[in-house]
Amino acid sequence: MTAVISNWSHDNQERAKRIIASYPEKRSALMPLLYIASLEHAYVSDDAMREVAELTGITPVQVQSVASFYTMFKRGGVGDYLVSVCTSISCYLGGADDVLAAVESSIGDVAGEAAAERPITVEHVECIGACGGAPAVQVNYELIEGVTPEKAVALIKWLTATRPEVILTDEMQQLFGGRRSFEWGSTDSEGAVRPIPAFGPYGSVGGGSVGGGSAGR
Amino acid sequence: MAEHGTVSIIINGVEHDVPEGERLITAAERVGEYIPRFCHHDKLAPVGKCRMCLVEVEGPRGSALTTSCTVPVTDGMVVHTETDVVKKAQEGILEFLLLNHPLDCSVCDKGGECPLQDQALAFGAGESRFIEEKRTFTKPIPVSELVLLDRERCVVCDRCVRVADDIAGDPLLEFIDRGSYVQINTFPNEPFSSYFSGNTVQVCPVGALTSVDYRFKARPWDLESVRSVSLVDSVQSSVDVHTSRGKILRVYGAENDAVNEGWLSDKDRFIFSAFRSPDRITTPLVRDGDGFKETSWSEAVELVAMRLGGHVGTEVGAIGGANGTNEEAFALAKFMRTVVGSPHIDAQLGDGLDPHLASSITARGTISDLDAASTILVWGPDLKETLPVLYLRVRKAVRNGAALVVVSPYSTGLDSIATHSLRYRAGSGPEILRKLAHGDAGYEAVTETLANGPVVALVGRSSITENPMLAEAVAAFARSLPHAKLLPLLTRANVFGALDMGLAPTLLPGRVSTGDAAGVSLLEDSWGPLPESAGKDTMAMLEALIDRDLVAVILAGADPIRDCPDPAVAESALDAAEFVVAFDAFMTDSTRKAHVVLPAALWGEVDGTVTNLEGRVQRLRRSVQPRGMSISVSAALDDIARAMGAELGAADWQLINKEIAAVAPAYAGMTADYLTFEAGEEGAVVPIPGATQPLGHIPVEVNVPVVTGRFTLHLAPALYDAGVLVRNSHMLEGFADPGVVRMHPRDAASLAVADGDLIDAEGVGLPVKIDPEVPERSVVITRNLDTTRGIAASADIRVETVRGEP
Repeated sequence: MTAVISNWSHDNQERAKRIIASYPEKRSALMPLLYIASLEHAYVSDDAMREVAELTGITPVQVQSVASFYTMFKRGGVGDYLVSVCTSISCYLGGADDVLAAVESSIGDVAGEAAAERPITVEHVECIGACGGAPAVQVNYELIEGVTPEKAVALIKWLTATRPEVILTDEMQQLFGGRRSFEWGSTDSEGAVRPIPAFGPYGSVGGGSVGGGSAGR
Repeated sequence: MAEHGTVSIIINGVEHDVPEGERLITAAERVGEYIPRFCHHDKLAPVGKCRMCLVEVEGPRGSALTTSCTVPVTDGMVVHTETDVVKKAQEGILEFLLLNHPLDCSVCDKGGECPLQDQALAFGAGESRFIEEKRTFTKPIPVSELVLLDRERCVVCDRCVRVADDIAGDPLLEFIDRGSYVQINTFPNEPFSSYFSGNTVQVCPVGALTSVDYRFKARPWDLESVRSVSLVDSVQSSVDVHTSRGKILRVYGAENDAVNEGWLSDKDRFIFSAFRSPDRITTPLVRDGDGFKETSWSEAVELVAMRLGGHVGTEVGAIGGANGTNEEAFALAKFMRTVVGSPHIDAQLGDGLDPHLASSITARGTISDLDAASTILVWGPDLKETLPVLYLRVRKAVRNGAALVVVSPYSTGLDSIATHSLRYRAGSGPEILRKLAHGDAGYEAVTETLANGPVVALVGRSSITENPMLAEAVAAFARSLPHAKLLPLLTRANVFGALDMGLAPTLLPGRVSTGDAAGVSLLEDSWGPLPESAGKDTMAMLEALIDRDLVAVILAGADPIRDCPDPAVAESALDAAEFVVAFDAFMTDSTRKAHVVLPAALWGEVDGTVTNLEGRVQRLRRSVQPRGMSISVSAALDDIARAMGAELGAADWQLINKEIAAVAPAYAGMTADYLTFEAGEEGAVVPIPGATQPLGHIPVEVNVPVVTGRFTLHLAPALYDAGVLVRNSHMLEGFADPGVVRMHPRDAASLAVADGDLIDAEGVGLPVKIDPEVPERSVVITRNLDTTRGIAASADIRVETVRGEP
């Protein structure tokens, strides 16, 4: 079979081969390969789905079916900062809708050159496991609890103004957070450098610091 | 405890014995308790997706709601299908299903035959509490060139996805997104181009998937339905032909578990659009200079009678008859052997098999034998391209655990699911057969698989370039396998019926050899003396026309210039003939050379019986009137015979049908009445009990020469080619591939050509396609495309690089 993954980085191609070899059926490697594809391009493009289909011996639409089922596989371009506002029940009761509206309108406020250069993507998500600290927000999957609409606006302004290379949950919590669900203790997080969730077994801790790839950072 | 193989269950307080292991929903239906369903389909694996079939099943911890489509019956099972709990559950499910379903029944093709409509009425609450806005999508979107999708109507039952994946093996439809946004769709720019896409329209329980052609054409209550047979290939799938106001509007697969299990290929389903082609011949035509002029039937009949009567019988030949009914074929055979007095008749065009092997092989199997086979051997044409519904049946057997061995000169549709896929260079089939039959290093695993019976062997000619005697040798080998059943493969729609009716130089009606003195004298008792000389087959007839040993020829729906192995010979033969009369529905390369062209009715327009590749006879019913002045070949021959002063007894198909049952030994008792009142809609395999088949062909090992030469040729068949019906069907036209010459990378390198370079293949210029699936020193060209039909089907081929202009 002629591999069509030539536009993946060498590391990721090797990683893909290792992953496929670790399953008795090639198609079982589908999910981790989609994750590698996300590392490569920051989202799962149509081309990436074709690549994964070729690697796993299934059809592209079967890949798309899985990729589109799981919302953390992004199928469109994501900015350097992915701001996820939880709107599930606890956060909703804590005023998440206002937080979301505030974030969305402040994104509008910073539109223009600055936003185009380092765009922020906003999404609303279902429960992210921080109900005790509702309403909760994530930036590149790093958590902040007890966020108010005002703090959320400040967060967006801070992201736009300082453009942090590494997103650290403790730092954001201190600057923009409120009541926490409980004291998490000191995190050993290296922080997140890309809008990709951490997924240890397949080469990424803290949002792709190992992944590298072609994101140009 | 119930008797062996059954279990006893109690449904709504009544005890029933039902087959062990059957799904509860099917068992309940068997005993008259209908449980509503959307996702459940008898021929598809259970998924429990729609939840409509919830029933209460009593268990150790009280009764619980269970999906009856996923639960097998067990002994002593107590089931309630009509309690308040069940009713409430079903009402709830219907309310959910209808949340996003539009109320557009009045403009929906499914309205009137819609399971959702029907079951909402029968099992729904009647009112919805949902007052919010419904989900909408852009509509309709094409999922293929034949099928449209209205996503908002979908109830996510998974039937189309399972048809595409499990049945057809083309997983190109899937669920995209999730939750209330879930939809069925294809991958961007990768349409559901399957040979079986139309089946999704038929199984869709709502109006989500509709046929491009049928959309907005009719309401179901205006349709008349006629049970008939699809005369597209020799599987002869059972169909329901739906007509309105004298027009065929759609064709649905009919449940015939012995044949097609309800499935159809898109060619079966959509070819009828050719019937209403503006290019149909609708009046008799006689030659007038370079062209034709229209004439009346009586004048045409007089002319044909005079011209045929003006020759010695043995100077006349007849080619064709494999696309009509048994009655038409029988009338042609009788006309030739009695009225004309010629033994030169052949339903095959040099592209088939030995008639004895094809019609009368011993240990002949049936299609349903495949279900019970441990091992299936396929050595013949690519089933997916030639007999697609048989391909589905082989797929099913493999899905259920049968081992599959495919032997072919090129990749076939079955390779991906084959246990062993053996490839040989076109022309070297005898070598690989010897290795299989006598054992050879490297073939142990295949031999071991083939030793595991029962074996069903599908044996035919992989392409027109292959020596037809190879199939005889393969059949002899296959017969030696444990508990072997054989199915000879020919593809033309009613070729097996035509051979059984004696449309072969070596066969008389009812599987009697012309060399069988007792059989000959028995037929002479009713027909009078038969011609004594040996009959010529099609290629011999064409040669004889060139040599003037034959002077006149009848073409019965046959186009030898397209279909026989050597187009140039056929062309010279028809040019040399003093008189050519053609029965056809369309002008073809061959009919253009005829002196008289008679408009022939197509299979939706005639009544009769037909015989498929397993020897199963089914009723073909007329669903619409013949176009224009078209009539059946048999009725035309009856008129011509009368004008020649003879009585053919073929004015009416039922008369012929009775005569077949009387004089054709293998068809003894096989009357239309037997089919209607005894056999039922499944049809019956001849000979039926009480009848015997005189000829029992035992295939023998024959020494077939291996073809040498720099390049050998495999003329691969394709489902969508430039065949006359496909060409004239506005729905299927344009699906054919452009022709290419496929060759192995090393051969391309040795000729110094790359993909797309023009190459000269036996005088025909075609682009190269480098394809590692082609064995070395062999080329593969798709047969009968507009670009490839000039290539003679010789086993070796001259392939040269095209030199640039000097």
